[in-house]
Amino acid sequence: MKSPNSIASDGTPINGLLPVDAVIDLIKAGASLSLAGRKAALDRLPAGRWIAGTSPYFMTADGGRIIDDDVLFVTDLGSIGEVTFATYDADQLERISGDAPDSGLALAVIPAGSRCHTEFAQNAASYPMAFLRPTVGWISGYDLAHPDESAYAYDGQVATAYEDRVAVAHITIPESESPVIEIVNIFAPDGGDVIRFEEAGFTPEWCLVGGERKRFADYVVERGREGGDLPLVGDFGGARVNASLKTVDAQAGTVELYAPVFAGVDYSFAAPVGDYADGFRKALETQPFDGAVWSCNCILNFLFGQLEGVAIGGVAGPVTFGEVAYQLLNQTMVVIRKD
Amino acid sequence: MSLPPQGSAVWGRLASGGLSRLQTSHLGTQMLIKRLELSPSPPAAKATEIYNYFVKWERSLANEVAQLNRL
Repeated sequence: MKSPNSIASDGTPINGLLPVDAVIDLIKAGASLSLAGRKAALDRLPAGRWIAGTSPYFMTADGGRIIDDDVLFVTDLGSIGEVTFATYDADQLERISGDAPDSGLALAVIPAGSRCHTEFAQNAASYPMAFLRPTVGWISGYDLAHPDESAYAYDGQVATAYEDRVAVAHITIPESESPVIEIVNIFAPDGGDVIRFEEAGFTPEWCLVGGERKRFADYVVERGREGGDLPLVGDFGGARVNASLKTVDAQAGTVELYAPVFAGVDYSFAAPVGDYADGFRKALETQPFDGAVWSCNCILNFLFGQLEGVAIGGVAGPVTFGEVAYQLLNQTMVVIRKD
Repeated sequence: MSLPPQGSAVWGRLASGGLSRLQTSHLGTQMLIKRLELSPSPPAAKATEIYNYFVKWERSLANEVAQLNRL
């Protein structure tokens, strides 16, 4: 099979950057699409069978790219299965998986910083159908050179951008082709302290380290981790689930995370990673990509790993303000394959 | 190996702590293990959820299914 990194003109599925005018043609032709790009480009699109989110950052076969508003990242969902579209507000999020097909998955785009983002992050794993009808997707973002911008999710059926709704493509996949959801996390626990938290949240004030209660901000500084390049790594039944540091204010004694921590989960700081790109390349060498149809990776990996212009292998996709594989993840690549 | 029937004691054992001993690298299964560990639901409800999960993903969980009677 040809790599899904490539933009296809030979019948293989589209998963790459295309000029906006070409995307408009695909929409007018009735294609079912997942799109990503700058707001100025997405606002040009006609109504049709698509969802989208804002991000100017992408991983492509040739390396990381920051795009302008003349191109969009396009994934042809019709090549994966039959697609229906929906949007949900923050009080309806369990319907993302609840309304998903029995055979298939939900692909969701959630705006960064929205109430939907917070609600999903804290509750996704407890939605009744979360593990029977899996949700994958990404947290949309914006150009960090323009921090006054907002993140959006788009309902293509009405060509409308939302700051606080989740856009979802429900994809029915034949039972003979089960979706496989995989993550590539280059971070591993550093082998030092095991950290526990008393309650779930993005701004933990206290933590338990070796049974000793400490103010978390003080502990972060004590460990020299206030730079934020190394996430907390949580042990979720053996899966490594990161929660990345957004801000550390030692004076105020506050820490804000990009994903919540949970009570009852063992966390550790990640061991240092010298070369992110090499870490991904090595991890991806052992990863099967036959049947890979969609992927995303984290903005923090893009930035701390200096991945602009650097190829890491794997599957092309948006670079995001959070990743979704059943629940919210940080600093992780997510891949969907058809088995 | 085929799945034990829903009435099998296997599911109750899994719901009462056995699932934490399952060796798996399957992401969804790993996350489900943690969800159930943290859940206040009664064991019977957890057993039903585990059974339904294995029925749904049996084809992808051959290694895990092979362990069920040992847990």
